[in-house]
Amino acid sequence: METLGFLMEGFAVALTPYNLMFALFGAFVGTLIGCLPGLGPANGVAILIPLAFTLGLPPETAMILLTSVYAGAMYGGRISSILLNIPGDEPAMMTCLDGYPMAQKGRAADALAVSAIASFTGGLIGTIGLIMLAPVLARFALTFGPAEYFALFLLAFATLGGITGKNPMKTVIAATLGIMVATVGIDISTGTQRYTFGILELYEGIDFILAIVGLFAISELLFFVESRLGKGRKSVQIGKLTLTPKELISTVPTQLRGGVLGFIAGVLPGAGASLGSFISYTLEKQILGRKARFGEGDIRGVVAPEAGNNGASSGALVPMLTLGVPGSGTTAVLLAMLISLNITPGPLMFTQNADIVWGVIAALLVGNVLLLLLNIPLVGFFVRLLSIPPMYLLPIVTMVAFVGIYSISHSTFDLYFMVAFGVAGYLLRKLEIPLVPIILGMLLGPEMEKNLGHALVLSDGDWSVLWSSPLSITLWGIAALGLALPYLVGPLLRRRMNAAMKESPVSD
Amino acid sequence: MTSLGDRILGLGLLVLAVAYGWAAQQWPEPFGGAEAVGPDTFPTILAVVLVAGSLYLMIKPDPDARWPLGKSALELVVSLVVLVVYALLLEPLGFVIATTLAVGTLSWRMGAAPQRAFLTGLVSAVVVFVLFNYGLSLSLPAGLLEVN
Repeated sequence: METLGFLMEGFAVALTPYNLMFALFGAFVGTLIGCLPGLGPANGVAILIPLAFTLGLPPETAMILLTSVYAGAMYGGRISSILLNIPGDEPAMMTCLDGYPMAQKGRAADALAVSAIASFTGGLIGTIGLIMLAPVLARFALTFGPAEYFALFLLAFATLGGITGKNPMKTVIAATLGIMVATVGIDISTGTQRYTFGILELYEGIDFILAIVGLFAISELLFFVESRLGKGRKSVQIGKLTLTPKELISTVPTQLRGGVLGFIAGVLPGAGASLGSFISYTLEKQILGRKARFGEGDIRGVVAPEAGNNGASSGALVPMLTLGVPGSGTTAVLLAMLISLNITPGPLMFTQNADIVWGVIAALLVGNVLLLLLNIPLVGFFVRLLSIPPMYLLPIVTMVAFVGIYSISHSTFDLYFMVAFGVAGYLLRKLEIPLVPIILGMLLGPEMEKNLGHALVLSDGDWSVLWSSPLSITLWGIAALGLALPYLVGPLLRRRMNAAMKESPVSD
Repeated sequence: MTSLGDRILGLGLLVLAVAYGWAAQQWPEPFGGAEAVGPDTFPTILAVVLVAGSLYLMIKPDPDARWPLGKSALELVVSLVVLVVYALLLEPLGFVIATTLAVGTLSWRMGAAPQRAFLTGLVSAVVVFVLFNYGLSLSLPAGLLEVN
């Protein structure tokens, strides 16, 4: 019941007109970001961070804005999946399978409406799960010592590639590179200058916001320039809404199952929203068996992945808020915002910054309702925006990124730095080195070093302290599994995911 | 299918890791004598991990991605030059002019008709400038257009 009280206080924060306005704005922008191909959720949230920062928003408002964007992006991803057969973001991939066939049969409006409702249910289930699980996990996490934290950070890196990841070694390399970037600057505990090369701008270390914006936004622009997809693709006509209440009710069990499964996938390290929507789609296919016509435009084939990915997106906030260890790219970017607001993420946040945590959670509930309200009537508007070709959109997005970074420090040095990170991001993506572990490395690197130092000082330099408690041994074990599993079951899962994509007759 | 990309990357990372690790050994011992964890401990661990990773890449490389050649590569270089020049000219020329040029050139190179491209640049520049300077009172450089 204590939780309920906190939640009420959270609503008191989230429902102030000022915060509500930002939640609405965030939900709107988020849907936009989600539905525009070439502007993924992590990318979109990253570009907004410098703006939230320079506007001088209070911490809870800034976090509410960004979490609404995050939730909105998960809603928006489905629009281009259904209409263009291109997922707006990665988790929306499975929505293409039945969404696009539905649209081709002239039921695009129904697919959009039912997927908005499924997103709402999934998001709601996920948020309820978050409310129940987060305080428990936060209390448990209070028992963690520095050695456990060190092991936990390793676990986060090891599982970040996900069990469907292609080459775990590349995740390791990426994470190491990120942590190395974080070591640049003056060492906090001894004052030693590390890798500064006497350049004044490097003394304070490399600003991760600038690195994130460069890695995501600039490299995305370069990818589009290379692939020459500037003109965009043709969209399907939407048509009239013919969804009957009876049909809607028939999807309720699917919605509930999808939401719960998605939430679990979101909480677990190494799963994430993409796997959440995949699992709920395949499970639904098995449960319904021959009664359903999955892959040919079955309405439940749209409902299952959408409920799954929205459940997962709330689930992914659990480890981010309670342990300070995000499990996905977008939550990593949210963590960046928290750190730059000078809030130490982790279990203490639930006691020290209760208003922020619960404000954000309440804002998720409010945002979900706002999103449902926004998405049903405004879907036509978003669809029209979808026809803006990337050749106009991406240069403007890049410009906004420039403006954001410039307005933080008013220094052009930072802009060159951002472009350099963009080039690095482009090259690394080409070489299939994932970018998210790099960012997580930059964010968690300093904490990791601090905890290593604390653990060793407490043990008087005995390294075995790092794996001496049962808890830390377990964490090390899961981390090792996280690196080994992609080799063992990864190929199998990937093959099944690909097979599912191919079965759909219209996939191209 | 060759896998030269990963091999070159591995070699580059190996050099980086060794240089990074070597640099960490050169720092003076912090005041007050050596502790269990000095400023060099963590970087040394990282260097070792990266050496291992880069060796793995060189021994078991993935197949190469398709790298842009000829015209695509040229377009990429052009875009990069535009971005650098944009950063360079932002303050001297002012936000509106620099942005019109940068956004215009980029979308023109991405396939838009030149007139529409530069019009998009101008409109987006003016909108963002007005929004930032008057709406959000964050100052962007006016440059040549400064009215005294």
